[in-house]
Amino acid sequence: MTPQLLSLIGLFIVVVVLTLTRKAWAPAVGHALPSIWRIAKITVAEARRRRVLQAVVVLVVLILVSMTFFSYLSPREQSRMLISGGLSAITVFGILLAIFVAAFLVPQELESRTVYAILSKPVRRFEFVLGKYVGALIVLAVVIAVMTVVLIGVLVLQDRLVTDLPDSSFDPNISGVIFASLMSYCAVAVLTALIVLISTVSSTTMTVISAFIIWAVGSLQPTIHDLAENAEVPATKLLLRVIYLVLPKLADFDFRNEVSNYLPVSYIGGLDAIGVGLLYVAATLVVASIFFSDRQV
Amino acid sequence: MITDDIVLRIEGLTKVYRSLFTPVGVKAVDNLDLSVRRGETYSVVGPNGSGKTTTLKIILGLIFPTAGSTTVFGRSINDLSVRERIGFLPEDAYLYEVFNGEELLDFYASLFGYPKQRRRDLVEELLTLVGMQANRKVPFRECSKGMRQRLALAQALVNDPELLILDEPTSGLDPAGRHQMTRLILELKRRGKTILLCSHFLAEVEEVCDRVGIMYQGRLIAEGSLRELAGEPTEIVITTTGLQPAAAEQLAARDAVLGVDDGVVRMGHEYGDDLWSVLEAIHRGGGHVVEVTRPRPTLQDVFVRAIRGEVPAAGEQTSEVAE
Repeated sequence: MTPQLLSLIGLFIVVVVLTLTRKAWAPAVGHALPSIWRIAKITVAEARRRRVLQAVVVLVVLILVSMTFFSYLSPREQSRMLISGGLSAITVFGILLAIFVAAFLVPQELESRTVYAILSKPVRRFEFVLGKYVGALIVLAVVIAVMTVVLIGVLVLQDRLVTDLPDSSFDPNISGVIFASLMSYCAVAVLTALIVLISTVSSTTMTVISAFIIWAVGSLQPTIHDLAENAEVPATKLLLRVIYLVLPKLADFDFRNEVSNYLPVSYIGGLDAIGVGLLYVAATLVVASIFFSDRQV
Repeated sequence: MITDDIVLRIEGLTKVYRSLFTPVGVKAVDNLDLSVRRGETYSVVGPNGSGKTTTLKIILGLIFPTAGSTTVFGRSINDLSVRERIGFLPEDAYLYEVFNGEELLDFYASLFGYPKQRRRDLVEELLTLVGMQANRKVPFRECSKGMRQRLALAQALVNDPELLILDEPTSGLDPAGRHQMTRLILELKRRGKTILLCSHFLAEVEEVCDRVGIMYQGRLIAEGSLRELAGEPTEIVITTTGLQPAAAEQLAARDAVLGVDDGVVRMGHEYGDDLWSVLEAIHRGGGHVVEVTRPRPTLQDVFVRAIRGEVPAAGEQTSEVAE
């Protein structure tokens, strides 16, 4: 039985269980969804007013546009370099933004005590956590979408500029770029959920430090797997295995190499990563909600 | 109008803060019993660290008690229907800095699920009530302390709450701001709100409260109406002008007179029968009587006496409520 079939069976079982038990959860969800949406909206509105976010987007756009200046390369190399550099900029800045947006989401509300006026109103704590997460996802989606559109614009423009040249083999690979950006966004969504979880139990500084460590380790998961397999000390082996199992496999979301080198892209592999990512996000947010419900604010 | 219906009941409430460095813990609230009746304005007063804010946070479900129970409208604060009926003004007005008054009030009203038109009407009404119509577009971070406090009060009123919990509503305000806030609280009281108030400003408490609870080291050491706590006047104070120094010395030598200072003659309240003879002596000594008063102890006096243990402990008071 393939993993894809197993995922489909699992999804079917979840849908059946939710349908059969809808009377139990529907009223709570009926209250929770609007509440989560209101918190998400204020999170987005607050982020829109912060200049830092806009400054980062402008910086990335400038980087993407400046990459068109490498006209001494052959058209093929140019397209490769633009796609690789552009997707790397989107991924790195997307993740950096995710770390800084998510790390401040909950702790800032606690430190500035704005949470008092919200939690004293009819808002459950899990609604607050989920609302903050959804708000961050919307902000990050907009930022990554803007950066992707700019990259595509740069690629299309460059494609037109080099079409008249002899031996033009510039390939903007638009569908590949969109897919790779989407996968970067999924990685960002997974990382954001984990950062939100950490932020419910620690300070902003600790959350930021932990987020960078998770990003580094999450991107090196295949290496950690190999190290775990080859480790000779049992304790080291166990530790590496736990890290491999618990931390998200961010490398599974990375399709920059395939797209920029025009290699075949495994869309099924991407869907697998999204499915696992969704489960990971759901589990992480449940734990985050439980932790925050017990937190003294 | 105050009724016997209990809106807020606290029983045996204890809160101990523990940390890595204080495994034994610090007792912030110690076996607190307290109840607030519908329509009543109840004030908790006490020095810093006496457990007032901790108590409010437990009532609101922001922190959790170590022992004891709290019910609002007979239910747990975790019941969302309870939170729909209360309003909370936190100390030092913590609201989102980047939004203006109009946006803030609209957001807080949206948390109650009100439709857009109702929110719009509410925002107008509240901005008018707190006198912020002219400054409705000023971002919160640019608001003065008084404006911030008034907006914070407005957000506490978005659901027209039956119970209003105010933590240091006049903290950091100048005298004009304090006066304005006190007027607002009196207006809310006139509208029949039940108010639980924590304050350092005893004069403001005296002005607005029906009952006062004095907290010290986490315990409620005295409780009652100000009249009950203050007791009967202990002095008769006669303010004079033109009193000759020799006459003042003679007056001070009398048993009935506690002291003469800068033309002010203080008599023991129990010597009230001697008042006429003292007044005649003042007249003979060249003095003119400006005023005769029997001042009650202020809340400040009661507060100091309570901390010294000179006021009957909470529970020993009568349950009569001044109306």
